[in-house]
Formats: sequence, structure tokens, C-alpha cells
Amino acid sequence: MTNQVNIINLKKICKIFPLEIGGEQQVLFDISFTIQSGEFVAIMGPSGSGKSTCMNIIGALDSATSGTYELYGKDITTLSPDDLATIRNEYIGFVFQNFNLLPKRNILDNVMLPLMYRGIDVNDRIRRAREMLKLVGLENFESYLPTQLSGGMKQRVAIARALSGNPKLILADEPTGSLDSKMGNEILKFFKKLNTDMGITIVIITHEFDIAQYAKRVIHIYDGRITYDGAVPKNETVLLKSQKESHK
Amino acid sequence: MTLGDILKESWLSISGNKLRSFLTVLGIIIGVMAVVIMVAVGETVQLSITDQFSSLGTNTIVIRAGAARRGGIRSGNRNTLTIQDAEQIQKLPDVMSITPAQSGSAQVIYGNKNWSTMMLGAHPDYTVIQDIEMTHGTFFDMTAVKNASTYAVIGPDTARELGLPDNPVGEIIRIQNMPFVVIGVMKARGDSSFGSQDDMIIIPITTLKKRLQGSPFPDSVTMVALKIYQDADNAVVTDQISALLRQRHRIKDGDEDDFQITDMKQIMETMDTVTGYLKLLLIAIAAVSLLVGSIGIMNMMLVSVVERTREIGIRKAVGARERIIIIQFLSESVLISFIGSMFGLVFGVGLSQGIGRFILKYNVPFSIWPVILSVSVAVIVGLASGVMPAFRAAKLNPIDSLRYE
Repeated sequence: MTNQVNIINLKKICKIFPLEIGGEQQVLFDISFTIQSGEFVAIMGPSGSGKSTCMNIIGALDSATSGTYELYGKDITTLSPDDLATIRNEYIGFVFQNFNLLPKRNILDNVMLPLMYRGIDVNDRIRRAREMLKLVGLENFESYLPTQLSGGMKQRVAIARALSGNPKLILADEPTGSLDSKMGNEILKFFKKLNTDMGITIVIITHEFDIAQYAKRVIHIYDGRITYDGAVPKNETVLLKSQKESHK
Repeated sequence: MTLGDILKESWLSISGNKLRSFLTVLGIIIGVMAVVIMVAVGETVQLSITDQFSSLGTNTIVIRAGAARRGGIRSGNRNTLTIQDAEQIQKLPDVMSITPAQSGSAQVIYGNKNWSTMMLGAHPDYTVIQDIEMTHGTFFDMTAVKNASTYAVIGPDTARELGLPDNPVGEIIRIQNMPFVVIGVMKARGDSSFGSQDDMIIIPITTLKKRLQGSPFPDSVTMVALKIYQDADNAVVTDQISALLRQRHRIKDGDEDDFQITDMKQIMETMDTVTGYLKLLLIAIAAVSLLVGSIGIMNMMLVSVVERTREIGIRKAVGARERIIIIQFLSESVLISFIGSMFGLVFGVGLSQGIGRFILKYNVPFSIWPVILSVSVAVIVGLASGVMPAFRAAKLNPIDSLRYE
């Protein structure tokens, strides 16, 4: 753990949304934590806790209302939408619950997508995408369309796409939400393998404790506040207690 | 992202929804086709009219006897023009060739063939004024005019209708029962809006007046045609002729002319302006259909943005900047317009050639400017109709887009 560097550094992040009926709603309150390279973190919380908003900010898909966010030592709190797009392309690989693959593009094209936006030469793109498809065991499916694949295969394509840009961080938002338990476990094992074998930093957003157990650290959010941040407890009671404590 | 990537992405998006893309392209095809056809037809009409007038020569001036109109009726049968008038007009410095002329119908007989045709009495300069060429024999000269010789120059159609031999020079034909020697056959010139120039007989004016018509006014003619030098000003010469004739005919100031001067250049300019407006009108109608086509593109692109909201979110999530999204959507609409304009161009050129050949009976000229114009307009139309959808797509929030169902 000697060579670890701070990948994510959130300081007092608040997020307030304007409401369509007028007024506003604060969903994150002074969220602060750091994530170091090589970590496997699960951000947990029930529905409406603010974990997805937290993920959007970490993933540079959204900006905080106040507070600062440093990604790899670079303050990205106030960057323009285009600069945030570049940050996402270079530093972050996304894996979504519903895969978010382009349905009319074949698997190879989907995996190459981040590389195309980075301006990488076509031949290098193809070579890199094929390497990633081989890594996720789909090297024989590159000409298939996403609709021709099973849910587990689609998620592996999404992981290959996330890895193709050689990101510092993989952000997975409920990555097993659309899969059966067997497929889900396979995907989680694959994440664990990526983390241990390749040292890739992984942040999983989930509301299930079973999934969080694959991680090394849990950040529990409840009502927009962090109620627990530490090693994965042996059972969920610890997290639920922390939730209860936050009300006091 | 290279140009190749942009084109590939655009093509995949367009071909991903074939029927809708086809219908959108169809709008542009019809628009561009309409522009190409309308321009070609307009140009052809203009050109055919110009050609017909050019065959008479823009430096040709025709003077007809009689006032232009009197009480709404043209009184052209008055013998106010004379061969002497023509001789005086010839002395004007800008006049190159001149002929007094009078026309009438003639019953012509050769052997057992009888043919009714137009007959014209003229001077040899008629060949210069009308650019007449001969296939056989010669045109009569001034000696024949002075002697009122019974020489006839005939058109190729007349020769055919009379059943004259291939070279009829020296053959005797009877015009109003008077024998005439055929001394020449004119080269075919085709029909014009003024009637066939190939079915007529030309004889010396004096022969017509004195021998055939036995006119009590042998020097009077119904028409004087003249050609002026190319560098001469039609308006100036027209004024000079008018002044000369008024003086010769002793017409007082304020009184009406007893002749009518027709300047071919002036007529041609008027016709040119009229056909120019006609062409503009046709292009304007065609432009409307191109505009409708472009609205079709904008409509398709707007629907496409809504349908592809999630795709836009995915692209943004993996690093597509706003500029790239704009370029992608713009290139799709431009590509659709370009494909449409290319097909429209091919169909338009093909159809306009067909219309020219089978309906207008005229060779439609192929000019490059409607090609350049319609393709550039289509590309601009594509760009313009893609701007709003492209910006709408680029401004989509990636989070909302990813959640879009």
C-alpha cells in the first residue's frame, strides 16, 4: 500500500436540486471522503439516499453545488461540460445497471467508442478493443449486436468498454441489478479480479449488502449524509445501526 | 475523431432507420430534381426563343408599310414604302445590306404536280440579311432584278413537294401560269416560330410587282428588311430611318408614321426579359419544394434526437464533447441532403433531357451551374436544418439522457 495515491478526494460536497414545482431539495450534505488507487469501495445506501447523485459527481457526470472534488489531484469542481467529458474519457470507465450499449453498433464498435472520442488511430483502437474483449472472454463475439447477447455478456461488453480507455477508476452503478444472481456473482468476481490482479480502483454503487461484501471498504450514505465509512462489516446490522445513529 | 469516423457514424445512424431516412431523402430528391428540371426547361425555352430570333439576326431591322395601328386596326396594306425608300436608306452609313420585299402566296406547277406555297419578291441582299446558303445553283443578282427576269430560287421542301429532280437548276416551273427558271435551291433551315423557311419561292421583286402582280404601283413594297453593321447601334439607326422616311413621306410633326419599324434586337431583349422572369418563377416554385424537403430533414433530425437521447447520454458518458455531438448530427443531416441531392441531380438531368427530347423537341443544354447550385443549396439546407437538432442533442444532460426510457 506504499505507492497509493488519492484518486478521489471529496471535500464538503453538497448538492441541491431545484424542484419543478418550485423551491429546491438538498440531496447531499457535506460529503467528504477520499479513495486511493487500488481500492475496491462499495457506496451503499437505500433508494433515495443520494448515492446515485454522489456517483454522478464522482463520475464527472454532474457538478456539486458546493464543496470541492479533486480527481487524481486535479480540482474538477468547476470545469465546463466539455472538460468534464474529457475527464470522463481519460480517467473513468463506467459500468451501468442497464449496460448502456449502443444497440445498433456491434460489440467491437461499442468497446472502441471511448477510444474513438480520444482520437486514437483506428488500428490501435481495434487492437485495444480486441484485447479487452479477450479479457472478458468475448473475443468470438465482436461482430455481434448487443441484442444478440445475454445480460451477463452485455455487462462484460460494458466492462470491456470501461477498460478499453485504460482508466484510473471504474465506476459501476448497480452493475448486477439487471442480472440473475449467478451472472451477478460472475461479474462481481470479475471486478474483484480486476482489482486484485490489475490494481484497478473500483467503486460500486449498490443498495445490496451482499454485493458490498465483494468490496474492501463500504461508504454508507443515508439521507444525503455518510453514516459509515470503513471496512466491510460482517453483517448489515452495523450499517443499519449507523443509519439509526445519524437520526440522533 | 476523424472525418472517416464521423462519416461512418453518420452512415450507420442513417442506415439504421432505412424507411424514415428514405422518405426524408425523397423530399430532397424531389426538391433538387425540381430545381434541375425547372432550370433546364426554363433555359431551354429561353434558348429556343433566342435561337429563333437569332436566326433573323439581332442586327436586322424590318420596316413595314402602313401605320402601326389606326383605331385598333393595323393598316398594313397601304403602299407607303417604295423601292426608292430602300435605296435612300441604304445610303445611311450603318446600313450593310438592304432589300425591299413583298410576299404573297403562289400556285406553282411542275409537270403534273401542283403546290401552293409562299412567294417572296426581294433583292439579292436578302441572302445576306437572312444568312441564306445554297445547295444547288445561285441566287439571282441585281441584273435579274433590273430586267425583272423570271428566275426562281426555291426552298428544299418546295423542290420535294413539286417532285423536282435532285439538282433542279435549269428546270422550268410555272408560277401563276408564268414559266420561271429554277436557278437555285436554298439549304434547309428548319422550322421557326415564323413558319417554315424551307417551303418558299424567292423571285426578283420587280418580277413579282411588274410581271406577276401587274401592279399600278410597281415601286411600292410592303416591307423593307435591312441588316446593319455589328458595331452599329440599333436605336440610332432606327431613329435615322424614321427621320429619313418621315421626311421622304412628308409627314408633319405630330402626325403618325405611315410605316412601322421593328428592331429585332429590341424584340429579343424583351423576350429575354420575359423568359428570364419565367425562369425565375420556375426556380422559385422548385425552391419551395426544396424548402419542404429541408423541413423534412429537420423534422427527422428532431425526432432522431428524442429517440436517441440515451445514445447521446452514452456517448457523452464515455467522453463525447458537445462539439463532437453537434458535428455528428450536422453531418447526418448534411449526408442525407447530399445523398438526396446526388440522386435528385441524376434524375433531374435524366428527366430534363427526356422532356427536352420528347416534349420540347429541343436539345436541353447541360449547364454546370444548376448542379453546383442545387448541391450547395442542399448541403446548406442540410446544415441549416441540422443546426437546431444538433444543438439540442449537444445540450442534453448526460445523466437525464442515460435515464431516458
